[in-house]
Amino acid sequence: MSIDTTQQPATQGDPAEQPAAAPATKRLNTAKAMVEAIAREMERDEDVFVLGEDVGAYGGIFSSTTGLLDRFGPERVMDTPISETGFIGAAIGAATEGMRPIVELMFVDFFGVCMDQIYNHMAKIHFESGGNVKVPMVLMTAVGGGYSDGAQHSQCLWGTFAHLPGMKVVVPSNPADAAGLMTAAIRDDNPVVFMFHKGIQGLPWMAKNKRSIGPVPTGDHVVEIGKAATARPGSDVTVVTLSLSVHHALDVAEELAADGTADVEVIDLRSIVPLDTEAIIESVTRTGHLVIVDEDYQSFGLSGEIAARIAEHDPTILKAPISRVAVPDVPIPYARPLEYTALPTPARIKEAIIGQVAPA
Amino acid sequence: MSSRIDAAVQRDLYDQMVLIRTYEEAILREYHADKKPAFDIGAGLIPGEMHLAAGQEPVAAGVCAHLSRGDAVTATHRPHHFAIAHGVDLNRMTAEIFGRVDGLGRGRGGHMHLFDPDAHFSCSGIIAEGYPPTAGQALAFKKRGTDRVAVAVTGEGAANQGAFHETLNLAALWKLPVIFVVEDNDWGISVPRSASTSVANNAERAAAYGIPGVRVEDNAVEAVHEAAGEAVERARNGGGPTLIEVHTLRLWGHFEGDAQGYRADLEGVPGKDPIPTYEAALRKAGILDDAAVAITRRAASDTVESAIAFAKASPEPDPSTVRDYVFA
Amino acid sequence: MTDVVFPVISQSDPDAEGTLATWFAEDGAVVAEGDLLAEVAVDKVDMELVAPVAGTITLIEDEGAVLRAGALIATID
Repeated sequence: MSIDTTQQPATQGDPAEQPAAAPATKRLNTAKAMVEAIAREMERDEDVFVLGEDVGAYGGIFSSTTGLLDRFGPERVMDTPISETGFIGAAIGAATEGMRPIVELMFVDFFGVCMDQIYNHMAKIHFESGGNVKVPMVLMTAVGGGYSDGAQHSQCLWGTFAHLPGMKVVVPSNPADAAGLMTAAIRDDNPVVFMFHKGIQGLPWMAKNKRSIGPVPTGDHVVEIGKAATARPGSDVTVVTLSLSVHHALDVAEELAADGTADVEVIDLRSIVPLDTEAIIESVTRTGHLVIVDEDYQSFGLSGEIAARIAEHDPTILKAPISRVAVPDVPIPYARPLEYTALPTPARIKEAIIGQVAPA
Repeated sequence: MSSRIDAAVQRDLYDQMVLIRTYEEAILREYHADKKPAFDIGAGLIPGEMHLAAGQEPVAAGVCAHLSRGDAVTATHRPHHFAIAHGVDLNRMTAEIFGRVDGLGRGRGGHMHLFDPDAHFSCSGIIAEGYPPTAGQALAFKKRGTDRVAVAVTGEGAANQGAFHETLNLAALWKLPVIFVVEDNDWGISVPRSASTSVANNAERAAAYGIPGVRVEDNAVEAVHEAAGEAVERARNGGGPTLIEVHTLRLWGHFEGDAQGYRADLEGVPGKDPIPTYEAALRKAGILDDAAVAITRRAASDTVESAIAFAKASPEPDPSTVRDYVFA
Repeated sequence: MTDVVFPVISQSDPDAEGTLATWFAEDGAVVAEGDLLAEVAVDKVDMELVAPVAGTITLIEDEGAVLRAGALIATID
């Protein structure tokens, strides 16, 4: 039987603080976990509504809204024309009037056609109004590659969004966190960009990592925005990562533990804005070794930001230079051998970790 | 001049336009006062860009006469006339233009980013991008079962931007209670409409989205008032959006500091000022006389100077608060 | 003991082959009636399988198995 029964749920913060009796859970894939969180909040608050391309009968191209139309009807689950500026802007306006829209940007790669609404309006209205106007909305969007969708449909781009002030950015890696972060995002009075990797959705039609199915707490479940999680405690090397790369890092960590090469600590960022700098520094202070795994482009982004925060804090906590495993500054290629050279694969992660613990 | 409008309404329209003009003249004065001898855009008590609406008063007065505070208005980088006509707090608006802590945005937004949520008023400095959120406000009004409407204002140059077209389609498709107002003042910055727009006027473009399009040709406040009245009623009754384009007049430059060397018709511009024209018509109809005009001008001046004094008395923001208000 | 079988997904082609795409239930787990057990796919149509009865489930087929309607995929005691 090939079913993995040793599922590691993502912990929330320090493992020592886990409650003695775990809450009731059910096993879902990430897509269904997100949908259930949205449905719960829509039941709870009639101001919550969903809009985007193909979110209605189709249920979202990556199954982010499956079944919601049947449950809540077309007034609350709205299919839009192909007008990202138009409908994301409409979500912004509705939010300023006190509604709580969840708007889907089908692929993050499409941000080019609507970025003004996102970064000049959604992200700035609260500030420009001196805090007098709130924009309580969720912008959810599918990210990531690995299934040959090419340069315009495979990007992550969280570095780009994180760079621009005024919007929170969350990136879950697993079903429980997807549900908890979606709930937190909907309840947050700020604009929250919710970026879900297509490869963690657990879709029947895309190769999936076993951790895209996992236990999701039933009942009210919130993951605090801005707090990383220790996906695997360890003592030799810190791997700071997010999204699908968490799964790959955990796979590699299991392998390296089995053959005694290294005891790897994996930090799952979960949020980028705000970034849990404290959790990163605490871990690297203990291990002295840092590998950053980031499926976004290498230069001028998240991995550089993490390295800068270590250097600003105290570079002497490092026993070796930082390793970055990211997409080199190339558009994501179509041909599989090229795509899998560009992506931060388990093989590249393993090589980086071994490089950290190898004798000098 | 229409005989269908009440004398009281005519008087209000005149008073509103005089208030707006008085305000713009005062801001013009304050803006330039400390940028001499050579114009330095970053200097003085009101630094930065300044886009004044002198000449465009009829559009704001004519449209906003049909609105109440619960209705939404989204203006452009040239927002003062709509802000005033829609009842935005003038003291706090002026303090915001002066960048002071008692401003609408606590000094964070400035003249192009005025937000008064009590009046559902906002503006955007990005051409045409105020249209989509306005449709969103209308969407919220409709979802909540109210008869409130949202007015979205742009210039004629904005009608060539993608956001304009997306919003018209979306609002028409979803039958949203929006009134799209296009202020055609003939000029983008320096490029005339004939060099930017493929059709004779933007009211024609309404047909592309299946909504009514009305062109008001002569910057006359009563013609605007009549067209806006129909459009607002249509929206309130669930009839969906209307596009109104007003051929209006930019009396001054695109921004302060614009020498307007490109503007061949500059000499003839003051003669087309809509306020003296309307005043003359109302005098002829016996609705205004010297005394009434003096009262209106005095009241406008008092209100405006009081707002400027309020602004100047308000402190500048403390640098240590620079990170405030990014997030709620 | 209750059989859990691969469902008919395509009405026009009931004999079509499909994939047992995802097991949500774990082997030996106690399930309630209506619990989500699996997701199956025929062509691009996905379908959820829920538990017909409560009990302990024994998984028979693996994830990724290619099956026809009626094939036994699990039992519930």
